[in-house]
Amino acid sequence: MLKVENVSKYYGTLKAVDNLSFEVNDGEIFGLLGLNGAGKTTTFRMIMCLIDDYTGNITLDGKKIDYTVTDKIGFLTEERSLLTKMTVIEQVKFYAVLKGMKEEEIEKKLDYWLDRFGVSEYKNKKIKELSKGNQQKIQFICAIIHEPKLLILDEPFSGLDPINVELFKSIILEFKEKGTSIIFSSHRMEHVELFCEKLVVLVKGKSVLSGYLRDIKEEYKKKNVIVCGNIDKKKIESLDGVINVLKEKDEYIIKIKDNSYVPKLFKEISKYDNITKFVVEDASLNEIFIEKVGEAYEK
Amino acid sequence: MKNKLKYLTKISLNKKIKTKWFVIANVCLLLLIVGLVNADSIIKFFGGDFNKVTDILVIDNTNQTVYDDIETYYSEYSKYVEDMSKTEISLYEDTIDKAKEEVKEKDSILLVINEDENNFINAEIIVNKDVDPIISQLISTSLNTVKTNIALKHYNISESMLSTIDMPVTVEKTSLDESKSTDEMMDLVMGVAFPIMILPFFMLTMFLVQMIGAEINEEKTTRGMEIIISNVSPRVHFFSKLIASNLFVLIQGALLFIDVAIALIVRVFVGSGSLSNIAGDVDISSIIKSLSETGFMDNLIYIIPITLILMILTFIAYSLVAGILASMTTNMEDYQQVQTPIIIISLVGYYLSMMAAMFDGSIIIRILSYVPFISALLAPALLVLGQIGIIDILIALVILIGTIYILFKYGLRIYKVGILNYSSNGLWKKMFKAVKEK
Repeated sequence: MLKVENVSKYYGTLKAVDNLSFEVNDGEIFGLLGLNGAGKTTTFRMIMCLIDDYTGNITLDGKKIDYTVTDKIGFLTEERSLLTKMTVIEQVKFYAVLKGMKEEEIEKKLDYWLDRFGVSEYKNKKIKELSKGNQQKIQFICAIIHEPKLLILDEPFSGLDPINVELFKSIILEFKEKGTSIIFSSHRMEHVELFCEKLVVLVKGKSVLSGYLRDIKEEYKKKNVIVCGNIDKKKIESLDGVINVLKEKDEYIIKIKDNSYVPKLFKEISKYDNITKFVVEDASLNEIFIEKVGEAYEK
Repeated sequence: MKNKLKYLTKISLNKKIKTKWFVIANVCLLLLIVGLVNADSIIKFFGGDFNKVTDILVIDNTNQTVYDDIETYYSEYSKYVEDMSKTEISLYEDTIDKAKEEVKEKDSILLVINEDENNFINAEIIVNKDVDPIISQLISTSLNTVKTNIALKHYNISESMLSTIDMPVTVEKTSLDESKSTDEMMDLVMGVAFPIMILPFFMLTMFLVQMIGAEINEEKTTRGMEIIISNVSPRVHFFSKLIASNLFVLIQGALLFIDVAIALIVRVFVGSGSLSNIAGDVDISSIIKSLSETGFMDNLIYIIPITLILMILTFIAYSLVAGILASMTTNMEDYQQVQTPIIIISLVGYYLSMMAAMFDGSIIIRILSYVPFISALLAPALLVLGQIGIIDILIALVILIGTIYILFKYGLRIYKVGILNYSSNGLWKKMFKAVKEK
């Protein structure tokens, strides 16, 4: 289990991370979200032992993070962190040996993973000769080959086509099943929503939203009502409790203040004779994120 | 961590050595060195008029028939230059006009010897276009010798008396300072041999600085550095770069040494078969003999190890500076700029060591020989010249070791901050702050 307790980090007078606390249990996927410059990379760097001059505590399985602990962590950086002049086998071996693996063991596991990702033929190719997507696969293999206890994934689907996104998702879920703690960071909220049970949203280094995703959604009272049919948009917008009405293709998305306004809205919508759909949905994480981050910036 | 240091060093070294470019560069270097050492044989191998024999036709118009003497002296003197100019001297017994025709046709040299009113000889050289200066000099020397012999007879001077007259005044040189070299050969060593010996050191320093810069910047620009530093400490990473780069220059230096040895073996077995004329007109065996007489060769027992120690320590100092600077830069272009001062410092050392002989007794040159980074070039040069002693070398060594310690202690702090810094904004401020922090 990863435990981040009251961690703060200053760059000069700039507070990059402000009293941040969270826990990632074994077999749990945790979302670390925030705009660019919110403090995510600094948090990853502190967990990875790249920064040691911070206050607070970071422990993995109760042990303070140091170079013996980082061997148990896999890190997929947002940017390509591959040495492009190396071949695939040299690159994976290089990072895996630094993680404490034996060369013979690496070769066996590498063959399995190359096959799994469908890139076996690139084993002896130089990294710079690979496409962006294949480089991402190699980077991912480098992060998981030593079967880490904690896996940090910063924008893991960058440069991947939909089929490979699915492949990555299934492998991430396999690691979750095996009990690996996973920290997931992405600007694609639909991916976060799909994976993460728990999350924290950072704004200027400070947590503005944290907890289990289901609790966050429950606490966020605003709902979306999806209606299919011809309605009078202006009339619906003027109703009490309706925030706004958006038209997307042949559907209307009616945003309401909370569940209590649903019966009244249903009654109004029923007046129209061509209605084929009336569904009440929780707000998306994307909406929650935009609102919470926006509020924090206004403050 | 020890295993990781070993592994990082191995990877770093393999990146340089196990590449086709390293092999190609070293094959080219070997060919170049073999070619340079055997340049004369190669030039001759590809042909030319090297075997052309120039006829010297002699018309002897004297009553004393001096031809025989001239032929004897000319043949004797021309032995020394037979590699450069092949000639055949013979008495021409036909008319001068016919001789001139032969000169035109065969590009021969016509030497007409006449007698003046004092029964001394004078001569005229007739050539078609031009005469080789070496041949011209040989003819003049032979004629002068013959003229001297005529004069000896004329004035009844015996040969022993003449040799006493010709004998140069004996000048003995004595230096009260035993460490001071008095032999002119030392100037030759400094002028010819020393620059050749220190050129590889200069070259290897450049390799070293480039290698560290390129590697650190590659790891930084690809962000591979973040993965590496999350597994090994910056100290281990820095150490691995220092060890790998210094091992690389030592291997490259050894290869250069082997290249020279191969070139000399080729010269002995395939080329001209002689090492003595390798430096053109410079007679190496006589230089070695003279140096032995001055005690220089005995001094090599400590000059060579001291120079090697100074060089190795200087490599370490350069690699430290290069590593620190590379960690501060964010790409290779920036590094190219910041490494310029290192190259200039090294160049200063190189030129100062070559010019050291010109500034005998200069205090500033003596002080500069203590300065790290250039002491490895300058101090041995001054030691060879006898301008400084072993104490000065020890001072230079102590200062160099102190500098390495300071560079390592404070440089590591900069390195730790620099390798994960990707912005050039407020760079110097960050670095000074890093130095102050423990």
